[in-house]
Amino acid sequence: MNHVELDPRFAPPFPQAVLPVLRNPQLRKNVAHAIDVIQAKRAKLVAEKTDWQALRTAAAAIRSHALENLGAYLEEFEARCTAAGGQVHWASDADEARRLILDLLRQEKASEVIKIKTMTSAEIQLNPFLQAAGVDVFETDLAEIILQLGELEPSHIVVPALHVNRSQVREIFARRMGLKDLSDDPKELTNAARHYLRQKFLAIPTAISGANFLIAETGAVAVVESEGNGRMCLTLPRTLITLAGIEKVLPRFQDLEVMLQLLARSATGERMNPYTSLWTGVTAGDGPQRFHVVLLDNGRSSILSKPKQRQTLKCIRCAACMNACPVYRQTGGHAYGSVYPGPIGAILTPQLMQMHYAQSLPFASSLCGACYEACPVKINIPEVLLELRSQVVNQERKQAGRFFDPLYLGLRVANLLFAWAWLFHAAQWAGRVGLRVFTRKDGWIHWLPSVGGKWTQTRDLRGLPAQTFHQWWAARAKEKQ
Amino acid sequence: MSTSAETRQLILDRIRAAILPPAKDLAGAAVDYSALPRDYIRRGSLSREDKLQLMIERLREYDAEVIETTPRELPAAIAAQLKASGKRNFIAPAGLPAEWLADDFHWTIDHGLTTEQIEQAEGVVTAAFCGVADSGTIVLHHSAEEGRRVLTLLPDWHLCILRSSQVVQSFPEYFDRLPQPPRLVTYISGPSATADIEMTRIKGVHGPRFLAVILVRDEV
Repeated sequence: MNHVELDPRFAPPFPQAVLPVLRNPQLRKNVAHAIDVIQAKRAKLVAEKTDWQALRTAAAAIRSHALENLGAYLEEFEARCTAAGGQVHWASDADEARRLILDLLRQEKASEVIKIKTMTSAEIQLNPFLQAAGVDVFETDLAEIILQLGELEPSHIVVPALHVNRSQVREIFARRMGLKDLSDDPKELTNAARHYLRQKFLAIPTAISGANFLIAETGAVAVVESEGNGRMCLTLPRTLITLAGIEKVLPRFQDLEVMLQLLARSATGERMNPYTSLWTGVTAGDGPQRFHVVLLDNGRSSILSKPKQRQTLKCIRCAACMNACPVYRQTGGHAYGSVYPGPIGAILTPQLMQMHYAQSLPFASSLCGACYEACPVKINIPEVLLELRSQVVNQERKQAGRFFDPLYLGLRVANLLFAWAWLFHAAQWAGRVGLRVFTRKDGWIHWLPSVGGKWTQTRDLRGLPAQTFHQWWAARAKEKQ
Repeated sequence: MSTSAETRQLILDRIRAAILPPAKDLAGAAVDYSALPRDYIRRGSLSREDKLQLMIERLREYDAEVIETTPRELPAAIAAQLKASGKRNFIAPAGLPAEWLADDFHWTIDHGLTTEQIEQAEGVVTAAFCGVADSGTIVLHHSAEEGRRVLTLLPDWHLCILRSSQVVQSFPEYFDRLPQPPRLVTYISGPSATADIEMTRIKGVHGPRFLAVILVRDEV
């Protein structure tokens, strides 16, 4: 497989990054299959919820309210969590968060750490940093093990290895776990992972997790999962470090009655995920006796300050938008050059990068609106895409080289042509005459030079008709008189 | 660390500056919070019997084994389930009623057992806080009869005793039942599972692979 770059600072623009995927039929087949399975299950379970829209409305309102009062709720969370024996730390960017976590691990004298899948840690590229600092990191989610052992990159936020099929998993496990006789039966592969990890769970006393929700009212943290690797990491170690974006806060414990009804149905097409855990600080005799929460900003407060874009932070990371997206279905996640792919990634990644990188992503969408319809917290993704597109265009307009860029030159000419009717008619006449050379006998244009070739390299263009609409309309009016 | 206090203040200042008009304090937020729309279904419409049948159906969809019994016959039902499991070594939370600890089996009671001791056990028997029929969810708040979290995690077989009076139809009904938010919570909806390889659902990754539920008809 080609090397995939998921750091937005170095990833190629979307139209370029997408090419290797479009030429890889196996990858496209794997992605399409996984998406079809999830979508079929989700549709069935959403249909059986007669109050689905009311739940979405409530969830959207709760998340907006939490963001509008984020300062107060974060302080409440901090106070409650601290009172319950947890320690709360703050990190303003990725670098600070990485160092903070490494410091905590050094205090524990930890040379190994077990991890629950967390997209936030992928966002700050925690694993390579810890490895370089001499800490062995063991992912424990099945998909994350596949990626870690196969040295592959995630392509989805809920099912990160959906682009890898069973025979590829078999090859990775056989090679890395030294299991020569392994078959490609998913059951046997899953069992291999169970044995591989059991001793690690029992032996490694330090764990890192993400958080699905932080409860301001009680100081509790919620983790939603399927396999039980989460429960292992949350229960067995001596020390637990939780990394959470500052936007993850919910005002009250009871808000879970809305969120949990939406999350699993949206994410995996289940009525409820197998395991949900909530813990509050430290409890004597039950679970880790040292507990740290690292609250990460990393560009989030800047998103918060832009009223139209703020809704991006309502996201609960269910991935329903990417499952619904016609673009994602064709490309999978790697083309987005970020750990957050799909429609949410297309708006979140450039904003987290403060619009310095990933500017091609807001254009990686047909604006069909399927993501908005699927979103359980009603993020109007197309609205944010358009807002970001206008910002990107304004950035580009200021660039010196832009004056001679064919696209901008063309748009400026078009601007002129549309301003005067006589100029417009003259251009139409010139266009008809000019295109006649390229129009074949069948009435179609199969090849155009220069910029026009961008269209004709993938599709034909119908030759211009002999009569324009204006001419037809004028002739029709004359006939009626 | 002194820098951490500065970072904290920096982030909170950024957040406060981001919201215009200025955000309210906690009391002000509480007023707004109470006005949030909550038009979803808060109370289920099923009869008591239909609700229990739904709970059983959902649990069976998860491949959990479900047995119904009466309070009087519960100890015998537990013994029968333990026997059918083919296992001998069980652990129990410290608060589990003594009459549930069936004879003829080897019991280890959790008075601060080590992880290794719990790992040795073949199965565990616990009570539950509540059951949510809509999603077939077992709710544990980890009281003395529900046990510490690790008890229902390491053993491969979990027998859970659920009283019919504890079964609610939906999540909102469960939250309405809470006198106050619990400190520790586990929601279990079927045994541990994954669909990470080609979306094929595989039962039993890390948690117990077998879940059995005895539903005790304690309502007249």
